[in-house]
Amino acid sequence: MISSKREMLRIFFSSSVSKLGVALLIILLAFSIYALVAFPPDYGKLVWNNPKAWENYPKSAPPSWVNFFTQSKLFEHKILETHEPVVFKAPDGTIKKLYYFDLDYDAGEFPKFFSMLMKDVRYWKSPPIITLKLMRPDGKTVELTSFIVSSPREGEKPPYSRYEKEPFILKIDSDVNVWRSVSSFLKESYGLSFSPSEIGKDPERFIFGSPIGSNFSSPLKGKYRFEVSVTTYDERDSVGDILLILGGSVYGLLGTDVIGRDIAIGVLLGFPTSLFIGIITSVIVTLIGCLLGIIGGYFGGKIDEVTQRVSDIVYNLPLLPLTIFLIFLMGSSIWNIVLLLIVFGWPGLTIVTRSIVLQLREAQYIEAAKSFGSSPWRIIFRHMLPQVMPFIVAQMIFYVPTFILLEAALSFLGLGDPSLPTWGQMLELGFRNGAIYLGLWWWIIPPGVMIVLTAFTFVLIALGMEPVVNPRLRTG
Amino acid sequence: MGLARTLAIRAVNLLLVLLLVLLLVVVIIGATGTSDRILMSIVRQEVSTYRQAISRTITNPEALEKAVETYRQELIKAYGLDKPWYTRIGDMLKRIILLDLGVSKSLQTFSGSNKVVDLIMERLPNTILLVTTATVLSFIIGLLVGVKLATAIGSKLDRALTYFSAISYALPTWWTGIIFILVFYFYLRIFPPGGMYSIPPPEDTLARLLDLFWHATLPIIVLVLATVGSNIYVTRTVVMNIAQEDFVLAAKAKGLPERIVRWRYIARVAAPPILTQLILGLAGSIGGAILTETVFGWPGMGLLFYQAIVSSDEALILGLVYVFTLVYVIARFVLEIFYVMLDPRVRI
Repeated sequence: MISSKREMLRIFFSSSVSKLGVALLIILLAFSIYALVAFPPDYGKLVWNNPKAWENYPKSAPPSWVNFFTQSKLFEHKILETHEPVVFKAPDGTIKKLYYFDLDYDAGEFPKFFSMLMKDVRYWKSPPIITLKLMRPDGKTVELTSFIVSSPREGEKPPYSRYEKEPFILKIDSDVNVWRSVSSFLKESYGLSFSPSEIGKDPERFIFGSPIGSNFSSPLKGKYRFEVSVTTYDERDSVGDILLILGGSVYGLLGTDVIGRDIAIGVLLGFPTSLFIGIITSVIVTLIGCLLGIIGGYFGGKIDEVTQRVSDIVYNLPLLPLTIFLIFLMGSSIWNIVLLLIVFGWPGLTIVTRSIVLQLREAQYIEAAKSFGSSPWRIIFRHMLPQVMPFIVAQMIFYVPTFILLEAALSFLGLGDPSLPTWGQMLELGFRNGAIYLGLWWWIIPPGVMIVLTAFTFVLIALGMEPVVNPRLRTG
Repeated sequence: MGLARTLAIRAVNLLLVLLLVLLLVVVIIGATGTSDRILMSIVRQEVSTYRQAISRTITNPEALEKAVETYRQELIKAYGLDKPWYTRIGDMLKRIILLDLGVSKSLQTFSGSNKVVDLIMERLPNTILLVTTATVLSFIIGLLVGVKLATAIGSKLDRALTYFSAISYALPTWWTGIIFILVFYFYLRIFPPGGMYSIPPPEDTLARLLDLFWHATLPIIVLVLATVGSNIYVTRTVVMNIAQEDFVLAAKAKGLPERIVRWRYIARVAAPPILTQLILGLAGSIGGAILTETVFGWPGMGLLFYQAIVSSDEALILGLVYVFTLVYVIARFVLEIFYVMLDPRVRI
């Protein structure tokens, strides 16, 4: 009856169900490892759950590949970053740094917003002058704004540091100076008169559009070049990162949520948490459950009586209401969740293992071993465990999806560990923000599919284990 | 009287489970200070009622404050808040059993009461309606399809079922619900997004009933989908095993019609193990109800539970844990009555 390990593996891998299951598992593990390597452990707390970190991203934007299905191309959100500047030095000591940002615009709509971000300006003598210009595909150039970094305060000593903690943000949508520049640009280039406040209603329309008559209805497509020039008066003056942000209505692989978070990152970060909770809980539950089952079944007596009673009661409790209650009281850390899943999870295995051991105990070879004077533990480890093992492993794998789904359910009810991004929590936030009623499918479908896929992987492996455990199911 | 005795023993066992859960809950809320907070909020509420009552007779503000403070101290003593929590275990148990848990922080019944007991009692029938309908439907479908499939083991339909059970096991009920709303409400507009009645509800009784059906369809389908796979699977396996027994062969050999063999010979014997499956699935159905009600905004205890969690309403959560356990224990007992009736062997 008992087959060798190699034989078991052969039987396991002979079914296509197991092959698919293992292949999926490898993919899941690869994503988890990538997520763990690519993101620091406190990413969840510092970045993911910090709305400030996502300010520059579009809110509730669908994935960029929806452009394949739409008639008019939607603008994909762009964050343009600094490259090495071109430097000019004048004989009077003035240094001019020119930063260029290129943008190839082919969308059928205007950008939703446009802003410039600048960090860490440091100067020694006079404050630098900063200018932002846009060279358009039609050869025209708009000087959008020009300003001087704030002068030294009284008693302040050089170097003077600006925008160190909070970056400087220029928002075209709310900057009157920009509206004025655009207004005079329109007058000079097209002879059109728009008041700055008219431009302020939708400045992107005028900056990125070319008029038909006096009507700015569609964007001007082609290559744009932004020029940020920084004029400084000392060798040591420096400027940190400069970012240009063009608000799009589609973003990345999986779009963004209501805070602007990249859903692809959230989905990626869900892998390790989900697998960790599922696997660690299942392993511990299996260890406890089968140990108690073996002890109870083999030794009988008082221990058996007690474990049977307790497991019977725990097995018959309405699991979810009690878990919710306890998590609510204990606080929703990942360790509390694992602990409670273990506390409520062990009895099923104890009951089943016990019944198997009860049958095995009567087998003749066990009796023989006893008559040789083998110690009970030797009998358990040498003669019983190998028999029970395949079954226990199959059960262990079958428990993994149960716990993954339970954790997801708790997360969905708002009881997930707030410091870790999980799929359940993403869905909870989506649900609470009405993503279903607004049709934000990219927020609702991917995390759910991941939960189903992860659970399904383990169900497949468990199904593949069945012929190993139960020889009657073997074919060929 | 084997039947009555057996049932009495079962009842006592289940009551013990209920009591044990309650004791555990009371100890936990005592040790964490939650019971103190719940009692204090009851005291605060009574004090404010008292203040309103006496403010008409006592006009001197100083005397009023003094009277209120004395009353407060009396209440604290009466509730045992001046003593450690373990002296109040018995009292707290009684309080939970009678749902005498004060008022909810933020929720109200439709008639405007914010008492925990009123809130739960208002929602309880809605949950029972939803879960019972879904469970019965799932059971009937499981039985019909399972018995049918048992005669067609290995067929295409049978293999499709195996995959269906695997997928239905991996599908979280609540996510299925969300996808259903997205598809049937947002895109197709054929079902409402949630709730129990339209707003405003139809006046006419028949129209009201139809409106209820219309709102209940999606949540019931979701709940049935979650359980029907395993119901079919278990029925199929049990029936298949029994169909191979000698007495079935004998019945067939006698030339009894297939229908009689199937329902009178096989189904009768298969009933107890199938019922066992239903009993084991009960806890899962209750959990499923919490999530499904939340997703569909079905005004039952599950949605109330979610609302209580979101607003950190301790007294309400406590009451709900008790009522959920109570409902579970009662439902189990009902099923066990059936079981004992169906299978005389378990009678003592």
